Amino acid sequence: MTRKALLAIPVLLCLAASAALAGGALPIGATIPMTDVKMKSVDGAELALADVRKPAGTLVVFTCNHCPFAKMWETRIVELGNSYAVKGIGVIAVNANDPKVAEDDSFDAMQRRAKERGMQFPYVVDATSNLARAFGATKTPEAFLFDKDGKLVYHGAIDDNGQEPSKVENAYLKLALEAVMNGGDVPVKETKSIGCGIKFRS
Amino acid sequence: MSTSAALVLAVSVAIPPSAAPLPSPAGADAILAEVRKPGAAAVLVNVWATWCSPCREEFPDLLHVARELAPKGLRLVLVSVDFPGTEAETRSFLTSQGVDFPTFVRAGKDEAFVDGLERQWSGAIPATFLYDANGKLVRFWEGKASYPVIKKRAQAALDTKETR
Repeated sequence: MTRKALLAIPVLLCLAASAALAGGALPIGATIPMTDVKMKSVDGAELALADVRKPAGTLVVFTCNHCPFAKMWETRIVELGNSYAVKGIGVIAVNANDPKVAEDDSFDAMQRRAKERGMQFPYVVDATSNLARAFGATKTPEAFLFDKDGKLVYHGAIDDNGQEPSKVENAYLKLALEAVMNGGDVPVKETKSIGCGIKFRS
Repeated sequence: MSTSAALVLAVSVAIPPSAAPLPSPAGADAILAEVRKPGAAAVLVNVWATWCSPCREEFPDLLHVARELAPKGLRLVLVSVDFPGTEAETRSFLTSQGVDFPTFVRAGKDEAFVDGLERQWSGAIPATFLYDANGKLVRFWEGKASYPVIKKRAQAALDTKETR
């Protein structure tokens, strides 16, 4: 190995370390992380992402009770989750907020909300916030959709208009779910919306 | 207490703080135009909402830093992402914090606003952006920061350039 190549190694290691420290969301094409960590669902079951995965694909939505942005999209999240769970997509909603910071995100409140909204998919507690960290999720709501091979094919917003459902022009997550169901290419793979920063547990 | 001192006290207690101006709707371009207005040695942009607890918690610290460093050329640009129809609540909060300068409320669609302001921003609030005298982003963070952290960062930005 040349001296130049040897000198390059620590530089590359530093770059890799700084990229890891910088975090950032899972890139498109990444595999589902932390599939074996059990999380408590509102029905009392202990579930890992591996338990939720289905052959057609898997949808993970970081959401919560207290955030006005999450509430704005809540009906749409539940509608999409309920309908695509029936169609063969594994669906899970994850609350990574520390309830000491956001009281409305207590387990009891999550149970009530899931019942009120008629969620027919698990709503679980990310009790360490480490699932959110592993996904690089930063806010609620934030969706991650994986295809049949467990590769990330969509990350981002539910759609392009939280405040006015009747004025949605791009139903990003629905389009991505349809593409995954049909084995097609997801038209828009990454989008952004404004959301409440996740109240990570320390 | 002298009669005049008592009178001054009575008058100052009776006068409520002046109401903050209603925030003006602004897209990302308008916010960046505000950042690049001449006269600042550094600009701090904070995106917040009245219902966002970390935003409310760091608000006094942001204002404290802004007031302390204003003589050195720091400009604070506050951008609320409160929803349309809640302007009264936003104004009430700003007034309670003693904000007496123009502020903004986000206009337009989320993605255009987020990426228009800064592509590194995930969209999570609170979010704070620090620009140098040339309007170049020098630091950006999501989540609340404490008074000493905000002050240190703002001071560092002030130290980098001369006022425009």
